[in-house]
This record gives sequence, structure tokens and C-alpha cells, in this order.
Amino acid sequence: MSLIEIKDLKVHYPIRGGFWNRVVDNVKAVDGVTFNIEAGETYGLVGESGSGKSTTAKAIIGLEKATSGSVMYKGKDVTKGENRRKLDYNHDVQMIFQDSLSSLNPRKRIEDVIAEPLRNFEHLDKEQEKLRVLQLLDIVGLDADALYKYPHQFSGGQRQRIGVARAVATHPKLIIADEPVSALDLSVQAQVLNFMKKIQRQFGISYLFISHDLGVVRHMCKNIAIMTRGRIVEVGTRDDIYNNPMHIYTKRLLAAIPETNVNHRDEHRKHRLEIEKIYQEQQSTYYDKDGMAFPLVKVSPTHSVALPPHLAKEFEQQSENEGVNV
Amino acid sequence: MKRDIEDATSISAEDLGKLTKEAAAEATPSRARIMWGEFKADKPAMVSLFVLIFFILFVIIASLFINTPKMIQTNLMGYYAKPFTPEYWLGADSGGRSIAKELIVGSRNSISIAIGLTIISSTFGICWGLVSGYFGGMVDLAMQRVYDFMMIIPMLMTIIVIVTIIPHYNAITLTLILSIFYWMGTSRLIRSRTLAESQKDYVAASKTSGTSNLKIIFREIMPNISSLIIVDTTLSFAENIGVETGLSFLGFGLPMGTPSLGTLIANANDPENITGYWWTWLPAALEIIILCLSISYVGQVMRRATNAAQRRGNEKN
Ligand SMILES: Nc1ncnc2c1ncn2[C@@H]1O[C@H](COP(=O)(O)OP(=O)(O)O)[C@@H](O)[C@H]1O
Ligand SMILES: [Mg+2]
Repeated sequence: MSLIEIKDLKVHYPIRGGFWNRVVDNVKAVDGVTFNIEAGETYGLVGESGSGKSTTAKAIIGLEKATSGSVMYKGKDVTKGENRRKLDYNHDVQMIFQDSLSSLNPRKRIEDVIAEPLRNFEHLDKEQEKLRVLQLLDIVGLDADALYKYPHQFSGGQRQRIGVARAVATHPKLIIADEPVSALDLSVQAQVLNFMKKIQRQFGISYLFISHDLGVVRHMCKNIAIMTRGRIVEVGTRDDIYNNPMHIYTKRLLAAIPETNVNHRDEHRKHRLEIEKIYQEQQSTYYDKDGMAFPLVKVSPTHSVALPPHLAKEFEQQSENEGVNV
Repeated sequence: MKRDIEDATSISAEDLGKLTKEAAAEATPSRARIMWGEFKADKPAMVSLFVLIFFILFVIIASLFINTPKMIQTNLMGYYAKPFTPEYWLGADSGGRSIAKELIVGSRNSISIAIGLTIISSTFGICWGLVSGYFGGMVDLAMQRVYDFMMIIPMLMTIIVIVTIIPHYNAITLTLILSIFYWMGTSRLIRSRTLAESQKDYVAASKTSGTSNLKIIFREIMPNISSLIIVDTTLSFAENIGVETGLSFLGFGLPMGTPSLGTLIANANDPENITGYWWTWLPAALEIIILCLSISYVGQVMRRATNAAQRRGNEKN
């Protein structure tokens, strides 16, 4: 059984307007997202800005109310507040935020920041609590003198590590990392990611790793979902996504990974422009008339793609033929 | 699970004392110390602070030694006595009452009412704004309608009507009546900042850390808008001195026989007093100006102290 199962999750924001301030339309920030996260794995959720990744994350952790769908954890639907309380859900599921400065209260000392979840979920005495905070700081590679400082006295990378320390404080089973390194310099990114990986090895934590950059995700995730316009357009293993991308949106994201090898820059640029041209040409066939992605079709046991109907039919017939041995 | 964290680090209970000491050495100065440093860096504000503290203490203590009922009795011998005489330091009014004594008791009354009014109305306004802005949605909508209703009531007229209807009232009831009408400005200001503050990730992080709404509002968000609260409260204090004095000036403030800065300034209603007997109203007017200026100086320094970017004081000392 998976650690957490997200099923047909939808989050629609009403747009109010008109004279009576009535609901005139909906922003479908998340529109039917389904995936499972296994214990101890890192699951990647990738998409451009505005594709609904953060909203998905917030709905999973309970910060945003789900319009419909379910998030099953330990057999209970945690989109409902009472179930979250009953399970002490946030003891087990924590979050790392993109903006490290905004996610740490500027008025609180680091000790109080990291101790916050401990104070709410594990009632330690003062000494034990301080010791735990010091240990957590050590785990993310920060010295004890951070204890009584304020967030603005740290660099971005250090702050994000403080965010990581806070997230692991209660030893959760799942940490949702919403673009944890997007705001950081390339050199610092690797450092923070390494701490995250080290912690995962030591504590067996699962990550839902959200990013807009397939380059970063490659080093972190075994399974990856590609999201756009509130829907998942392609799911698969790392191998499926990087070596056999089938949706034009995935191909475009892959082409957008910056090329670090200077010798191949021109080649890479040409490739990217080519993909962009194909994307513009085929865009209309890969999305329905409302601009939404099509339902996912299984193209291999691990790989599903939101193919347009005419391509989807082919694959359905294929899998029917092969159906006996799958 | 606790084991896991201990296994991942070399820090154990023995190190606690040593590391805590190390951290304390690097600690950032406390807010009180920052504020004091800020006052030291701004001389006019320092003077203002001392003027305020000294003056408030003085009127409160001195008024204890003044026999008010006797003071407000008419004394024909002192009819418009000139100031700067041993008996009448600041002269006397048409009833022969000592202006100096009236000023002390009147200041105490006016300042007490202003302090009471500021504490009650600001506390209420801050709580109203915080709750309204934090919860948003229907809660906000309902609370803002109450706000709108209070705003459209013609305030001054309503206060005058209430004061006229109520047969017996004193400084405390007057403060309570005024408080009903003076929380809206604060609440609107606090609400708009709270709306913005509630969207920040640290609030989300507190929620996912299992902190209750009440604690998030008062322990997470409120400290972050403290500079706004301090500035607004000091400015309301200056304003509230004017509220009671204004009402008393119009004759609807404190009941007859209770001196206040307003009743003293009301002496200026008589053209004869304005030209001939300046001492009956000028000291009170000057006092209000000095008080309000001092308060706004102090408020400015407090705002700077709460905003790291504006500080002038040297944090290190
Ligand atoms: N509170 C909100 N009200 C209305 N629309 C929102 C709200 N939050 C997000 N959205 C919209 O939902 C979409 C997805 O946003 P988000 O989940 O933040 O995307 P991402 O994290 O992938 O960049 C965006 O179009 C955004 O404008
Ligand atoms: Mg986002």
C-alpha cells in the first residue's frame, strides 16, 4: 500500500464579480490529479509556474480546501479537517516552502522557529527541546550560534536549511518540498539538495518534490508527474520521462533544461527552437477545446500520457492486444 | 523515532550547556535594548520621552495633594488674579480659582481619560482587525459590516446625545462611551496589514506545525505588525487627548465641576479672556501642543526601532 494516495483531487477558486458579488466563474487551479507516493521515495511534480503545483501541495497538506477528490492517508481522507486532527496528520506530513525568507517568521529566533512543531506535537521539557533543536541544526550543517539569531541574519541557503530542519523536527513520514531550491543560486542548490537526500537516507522520509526544472528533479526523483493547467499530462519513471517523453509539453520542458556544456550550446538552442515550433503547431491537438489536457492513457505499466484521442485509440488497441500478458 | 535524530548527529546532552553559552554570545540584542539605543541616538525624542514621563508622573502625584472640591470653589478675592505671584503661580480665573491647580488636576483627568480611551479602543480595534483579516471570508464580511455601521453613525452627535441623556456619569463612564466610537480607524488599518501578513508562508508553516489559530494571530502575526500597532497607538493617544478636551471645550465632556484641559481652554470662548486674561487659557493650550508633539516624537522613534532598515542607533552597544 502506498504511503499517501491522491485521487482525482480538484481545487477550484471561485471568481466573484458583478453587482451581487456572485460566483461568475472558476479558476481550475487543480483539476483532477491522481498519484500515489510510496514510503521512502521521492516523487517529482513538475510544471511551469501557474500549473497548479503549489495548490496541489497545499491541498495535500491541508492548507487549501479541496473542492473534490480525496487524499487517503492511513485509510482516512485527510482533505477533511477532523480526520487530520484525529491522525495528528501534520506530525507526519510537513512542508518546505519556496521562499525561505517568507516562510520563517522574521520576529522569531531560530530556536523558536524550529521548536514550533515540537511544542505542538511532542511535549518535551525545556532542556530536551533545546537539545533537539541543536541536533536538528547540526543535521542541516548549521552551528549552535544560530540558535538565538533571527532569520534575516542568514543567507538564502542557510535559511532553506533551517526550513528543512523545522520540517524534519517531528520526524515526519512525508515532506512536501515546494520548489525548495528555485530561489537559490546554482551552487547553493546542490548543497541544500544534498542535505535533503542525506536526511532521506537517514530517516526514510518520503518527499513530494515540486519543481519547474526537470534538471533538478532528475537527481532527486524516481517517479515523476508532469503537470500543466491543473492536470497531469504525463506520469512515469525517471527513465520514461527523460528517455521516452511522449507529451509535447514534457518534450518542451526537457528542451528547456539549460545546457551546461558550452560546446553544445548552439546545438541545444536549435533543438529547443525546433521543439518550440512543434509545440506551437501541435498544441491544439494535445489539448481539448477548453484548453484542458486529455485523460491519461497507459502506454506501458509505469508510463501514462495524456494523449489526444486519435493517438490514445491506437494505444488502447495495442494494450488490448497485449492485455493478456500485462 | 527520537533515536533516529540522535543517531544522525554527534551532539548529545553533555554539549547542551556549552553550545547554549556559545549561542548566547552570538545572540541578537533584545528589542528593549534596540529601542533604548534608538532613543539615545535621537536627542529630541529622548527629551520628549522624559518630558512625557516626568509630566505624567508629576500631574498624577501632585494632584493627590490638591483638594479638588475646595479648589473649584469660587473665591472672590482672587478675581482674575495676575500670574507669577506666590499665591497664584499662573493667576486665577473669573471665579478666583487657581489656574495652576486647575491645570494639574485637569491634566490628570484629561491624560487619564486619553490613556484609558487609547488602551480600550486600541485593544479592541487591534483584536477586531486581526481576527477579521486573518479569517477572511464570511467572518471578515460580517465584521466589516459592523465596522461600516459604526462609521456611518454621526459620531460626535451620538456622543453628545448619550452624554446628555445619561443622568450621572463620570470620567470612567465617559471613557467607556468614547471607546465605543474610537476603535474603527485602528481596526481598518490592522485588518489590511493582517490580510497581507496572513498570506505569507510563515503563517502556512505555523498551520502545518499544528499551531492554533488564536496563537497564530497573537503570537505570530501580531509581533510582525507591532511597528504599525505602536505608531497607531501613540498617534491615537495624541488624538485622544484632543477628543476629551474637544468635548469638554464644547461643554459635553466631563460633568460640571470636574476640571480638564478642555474646560480650561474653554475660557478662551470669552473674548475678554483672549485679550485681557491670557493666563486663563494659554497654559492649557501650550500644554496640549507640547504633549502632542512629544508623543509624536516618541512614536517616531518607536517605529524606527521596530524597523531594522530605519534604525539610527548603534545596535552593538
Ligand atoms: N487563492 C487563489 N485564488 C484564485 N486563484 C488562485 C489562488 N491561488 C492560486 N490561484 C491560481 O491557480 C493557478 C495555479 O497556481 P499555483 O498552484 O500557485 O501554481 P504553481 O505553484 O504551479 O506555480 C494559477 O493560475 C493561480 O493564479
Ligand atoms: Mg508554486
